[in-house]
Amino acid sequence: MDSLTNLTGSSNYFEDFAVGRRMRHARSATIDEVENNYLSKQVMNTAQSHWNEEIMAGSPLGDGRLVFGLITGSMTVGLASQDTAENALCELGLDAVRFKRPVHHGDTITAYTEVLDTAEDPERDDAGVVRFKHWGRNQHGDVVCEIERLVLIKRRSHWGPQ
Amino acid sequence: MGEPDFESFPLVPHGNQFEDFPAGRAFGHHWGRTITSGDNALFSTATCNWNPMHLNAEFARAHGHPDVVVNPMLVLCTVVGLSVEDLSETGGPFLGMEGVRFHQPVYPGDTLTAGSRVLEARESASRPSTGIVTWHTEARNQRGELVLEYQRTNLVAKRRRASRD
Repeated sequence: MDSLTNLTGSSNYFEDFAVGRRMRHARSATIDEVENNYLSKQVMNTAQSHWNEEIMAGSPLGDGRLVFGLITGSMTVGLASQDTAENALCELGLDAVRFKRPVHHGDTITAYTEVLDTAEDPERDDAGVVRFKHWGRNQHGDVVCEIERLVLIKRRSHWGPQ
Repeated sequence: MGEPDFESFPLVPHGNQFEDFPAGRAFGHHWGRTITSGDNALFSTATCNWNPMHLNAEFARAHGHPDVVVNPMLVLCTVVGLSVEDLSETGGPFLGMEGVRFHQPVYPGDTLTAGSRVLEARESASRPSTGIVTWHTEARNQRGELVLEYQRTNLVAKRRRASRD
């Protein structure tokens, strides 16, 4: 067990997520060629608005390639992942996923999180379920996506450093 | 020899529009996708999701998995991607999703296929040229086991009437 606990942080077990706790995640990321143009094609997204610069010229959504909403969402979850899921056993699901504004190449995403709810898992006593709300904001401070996320997270009492 | 008149080449159309989505219509989506360890490593690192459950096979094995657990956001993005031509390629913003549930882990080498059904299609009060469509999508692995389901809602363009063209 100790070799496992050495690989992850010690301040993000189930017991650490009190309802109402808020987090501004320390690292932001710029979305560019790899993150949108390539990943959209990697995941078989055939909508060329995500990877054809010319077709989006003059679009009411803004010039240039439009970032696939779930790439913005995945980046928001990714930026929040160390603080919210480093000691997760599994990701259970997402709810209330909303894409609020278009994102373009060169935009930079920052992730924010609030703990909405926590719950026992009736089937196990070594972990509990946390419902997070995540927000992704661009470099202008505009919210671009909102996501609620359910994660099964280890309890320190069972899995933490001995 | 001169070049042909490229403008005269008939376009091979792809995608559907609002009128193609009566409630209850089902779609079996094209292609399928085997998720490789490379896909998972690239996607997880590019989205800053450096979780050892997705990137450290020994860590994942110590939790009872046979290999790394494929990042569920990659599973979700891939299933949506497979559905785009049938559901949303013709344009209209992706509005949101509800009830996304990861029913079981996906491992490198697993193959995903997806299908969707129209739950609701309604007119947009504010934008008469578009409608709002909600689909329920399911994805299964190579053993037919449900790995993911969700509801997705998009604005979808209507066909242009000849009189407006």
